[in-house]
Amino acid sequence: MSAFGLDKITKLFQIIKVNGGIRASLYKLYRFDDLKDGKLVGQDDFGNKYYENPRYFFGRSRWVEYAPQFNMDYDGSQVPAEWFGWLHYKTDLIPTQDKDRPKYKWMLPHTENLSGTTGQYVPYSTTRPKVEPWIPKSSKV
Amino acid sequence: MLSSLKTGVQSIWRISSRALQTSSTLQHDSLFVHRDTPEDNSSIPFEFTPENEKRAEALLGMYPEGHKRGAMLPLLDLAQRQHGWLPISAMHKVAEILDLPKMRVYEVATFYTMFIRRPIGKYHIQVCTTTPCWLRGSDDVLNAVKEATGAEVGGNSPCGNFSISEVECLGACVNAPMMQINDDYYEDLTVKDTKEIIQNLKDGKEPQRGPRSGRFAAEPLGGLTSLKEPPPGPGFGLQAALNK
Amino acid sequence: MFRQPLSRALSLPVLGSPTRVARVCTSARSMQVQSEGKPQPEKVEVFIDDKPVYVLPGTTVLQAAAQIGIEIPRFCYHERLAVAGNCRMCLVEVEKSPKPIAACAMPVMKGMRIKTNSDLTKKAREGIMEFLLVNHPLDCPICDQGGECDLQDQSMAFGSDRSRFTDIHFSGKRAVEDKDIGPLIKTIMTRCIHCTRCIRFASEVAGIDDLGTTGRGNDMQVGTYVEKLFLSELSGNIIDLCPVGALTSKPYSFVARPWETRRIESVDVMDAVGSNIIVTTRTNEVLRILPKTNEEINEEWLADKSRFACDGLKRQRLVTPMMKSCSGELEPVEWEDAICAAAAAIQNCPPDSLVAVAGELADAESMVALKDLVNRMGSEHVYTEHIFPLQGSGIDLRAAYLLNTKIANVEEADFILLIGTNVRYEAPILNARIRKAYVHNETEIALVGPEVNLSYNYMHCGTSPSIVQEFASGQSSHPVYQKMMKAKRPMVIIGADQLKGPEGMSMLATAQQLAYNLEISLSDKNWEAALDIGYKPGASDALQANPKVVYLLGADAGYIDRNMLPKDCCVIYQGHHGDSGAEMADIVLPGAAYTEKRATYVNTEGRAQQTLPAVTPPGRARVDWKIIRALSEVMGQTLPYDDLDEMRMRMCQISPTLVSYGETDTNSFMPEVIQLSCNYQKPLSCELDVEMKKLSDYFMTDPISRASPTMAKCVQAVHKQETNPY
Repeated sequence: MSAFGLDKITKLFQIIKVNGGIRASLYKLYRFDDLKDGKLVGQDDFGNKYYENPRYFFGRSRWVEYAPQFNMDYDGSQVPAEWFGWLHYKTDLIPTQDKDRPKYKWMLPHTENLSGTTGQYVPYSTTRPKVEPWIPKSSKV
Repeated sequence: MLSSLKTGVQSIWRISSRALQTSSTLQHDSLFVHRDTPEDNSSIPFEFTPENEKRAEALLGMYPEGHKRGAMLPLLDLAQRQHGWLPISAMHKVAEILDLPKMRVYEVATFYTMFIRRPIGKYHIQVCTTTPCWLRGSDDVLNAVKEATGAEVGGNSPCGNFSISEVECLGACVNAPMMQINDDYYEDLTVKDTKEIIQNLKDGKEPQRGPRSGRFAAEPLGGLTSLKEPPPGPGFGLQAALNK
Repeated sequence: MFRQPLSRALSLPVLGSPTRVARVCTSARSMQVQSEGKPQPEKVEVFIDDKPVYVLPGTTVLQAAAQIGIEIPRFCYHERLAVAGNCRMCLVEVEKSPKPIAACAMPVMKGMRIKTNSDLTKKAREGIMEFLLVNHPLDCPICDQGGECDLQDQSMAFGSDRSRFTDIHFSGKRAVEDKDIGPLIKTIMTRCIHCTRCIRFASEVAGIDDLGTTGRGNDMQVGTYVEKLFLSELSGNIIDLCPVGALTSKPYSFVARPWETRRIESVDVMDAVGSNIIVTTRTNEVLRILPKTNEEINEEWLADKSRFACDGLKRQRLVTPMMKSCSGELEPVEWEDAICAAAAAIQNCPPDSLVAVAGELADAESMVALKDLVNRMGSEHVYTEHIFPLQGSGIDLRAAYLLNTKIANVEEADFILLIGTNVRYEAPILNARIRKAYVHNETEIALVGPEVNLSYNYMHCGTSPSIVQEFASGQSSHPVYQKMMKAKRPMVIIGADQLKGPEGMSMLATAQQLAYNLEISLSDKNWEAALDIGYKPGASDALQANPKVVYLLGADAGYIDRNMLPKDCCVIYQGHHGDSGAEMADIVLPGAAYTEKRATYVNTEGRAQQTLPAVTPPGRARVDWKIIRALSEVMGQTLPYDDLDEMRMRMCQISPTLVSYGETDTNSFMPEVIQLSCNYQKPLSCELDVEMKKLSDYFMTDPISRASPTMAKCVQAVHKQETNPY
């Protein structure tokens, strides 16, 4: 069978089936430029899903499917810190399995990188402005 | 051990003493900027007395038209003689008389050390401390003056009548040591003479001016050592053939 | 007080040349004088470093050396000030002279052999430098003069590498307390090397004898002796004159080093003189303004307002277009909205109700563009803010409104009559010229008008203009008139303030009748360019005739009031500062100031000069003529110029003088002007008055200087000085 490459075709159909049919597969391919089958390892607070499939070689065997609410605007900073280590092979333990992971009250929920948006961090200027604009007299004051 | 401690202390002192240094140690005893004081400010009026006004006119008359500013020194001197010292309003008055900017008068008044721009007493004692006088004991004379008047150099006595200045050569080296009180020279001084002069002034008496050693002027103290005989007449020392 | 004929000034070949005199005068009487001419004295030959040079007798060794390009180091010598000869840096060896001589003070003698590079000369220079540095602090790293310091440069070039004066390690260097001489000049008197340039400048050029030396010897110091501010309208020049860091600019202190800055040559617009300036910038910020030498205009001086008001360019700026919202407040909007709104307002306006008014600081380019735009809409209502009488020749002949005798030729005049003007504050540079004539050429000056301090003595002829009429009638026994008649090159300067009132025409006609060369001194900035382009002076009539749209091009002088205008009138303000104009506007279009654009300005002589962009306009402000060009495109009346060259072509069509940069023409129509105006002489009853009487009036006169904190400090300082008894 394998001589004719039919196992590849079987695999393809299998992957399409795992991913929820032709429409869903095409949509995933459109979103991530990739279509893989794997074991769902976990899900984070944002709804990102983490998969693993050791059949793929190291470096591609763990991946994330971003939550649907991100649509096409996903990026790497949407992966929270606790999943980052697992995703990058720093650890094999997913957050729920790792008991040594510190958890303090003051730890804030993860935020994605807001650069380029209105929510971005802008440090206040420590230099005086070079030009002071004229502010028209307001009758409200 | 001890020597290394000494070197250590010295090096620490050398580093830290930089912060304690001042840059100006050589300074004149008078200030070359004006500071308003209750005695000396521009709101105190200054006018020449009628006699001095006549003198001022006479002084101005000595200078041709267009060069009246030459009268600045005599007029400033006149003002100083009238007032005892030279207040800023006197300088303004002189500037007004000469129709000059005030700064030009300030320049002259600060240049000459004999214009005194601080209030001084009735008697301005100027003790010469240049080499000839110093060799003849002017330090003692100066100390005696300080002691007798209670004033310091550059300051006034508690009674306000005396002011002391240390001055450079007043040109009476043959009669060293000497001092000048107002316009008069007192020469060949000893400590005793000095005290006597000050006491006389305090008592309102007029001390004897000139050399106190009994000399008339600058002749040798122990009588003449040469030129004792009467001067020879004309033709002295000529060969006989010419002396006919 | 400094009133001596300066043999130096006469001996200079540049100043004494007869060709310069010829251009001065247009009257027949003075042409005669010129033809007489002085015989040129024979030149003497001297040898400098064995190179022969022929110079006029009386030339100093230093000047002779400069003629063949040999520069002798100097500190105290300055070509525009009297010779002092006290720094001794210019010592040179002269053959057969036992000692080195001071080149700045020594006149040349026939056959003199001067060695400017011999061992003796070098040794003398090293010695002088060593003396100067005994007491000069080594604070170059924190000194504002560092990098542009004569002492630094010359000690590098001519000094020794070590000093033998080791006793300063024990006794310390001389220290002098700093003086407070005002908000413009910072003094660090310990650095002073007693060149006395500032003292000579104050007494010769500025005419304020407040600086001098006090004390003597090692204790000598330069200062004012009493606590006094050095408040002159030319005070900033002593900063440039100071060869060391003793006098530095207070607003510029610790701001920048000269090697970090870029220098852009430009033209000043704060008064009518059009002084040439160098704008120093760094990181898109104007840091300071320095004078640029131009012998025909400002020599190398610069008035304080021109020099120090540059910090006003960073304050009160219009940085974004604004429009009145429905609540009646000005609110920032996009350029597109503002331009569209302005275009709609102009398009919906009947042609006769469209009025444009150009202010003092408007450049020729934008005025041409605005006039073209307004004319295309069918309106002829383009005005300047200030009033000039329109009867007689009006503004048709240039000679009627220019300073016809050029600024440089004021020096040659031997009698100057000032009518109702305070030249000192209206045009400080012109006044410096008059003072120069007064000091060096014994020029007589008379003044009709309020008695003001002009920094030189003048004959005061009352405040009534009837005396001018008396002079003009030709029958007067007044001593001033007699002097004027005897003068060979008389000159009349009339203040622009006097032409405003109802009797302005009569005043002007009288003065023209009197004058052989009529001069008009203007306190206004760009009056000449506006009149050249065809703007009509005085907008008040048109503004009362119910305008629908008023386009203000930098009109901030306060002549136009919102209350004068009808309620539904739309006011468009285009300019660079938020001032009275922007306050009453419905639409504000932010323009560029004179340091931010390449633009043409015409000075009181009719000399067109251009500014160069030193920095970019702040925020969303744009170059003025481009705004008008953009507006015309939106309105569908596209003006036919797309870049500056085409713009200049258009200006050249209007008047070639507007683009002949740096040049000024002789105006030959003066007789016609006088002829046309002679019928307008009427009895004059008013009293002459001027706007700027005191120094405190001088500092804040236009939107830039009103926005400048330095100028505000100057006004405060002058008021403080008024209570000072000294």
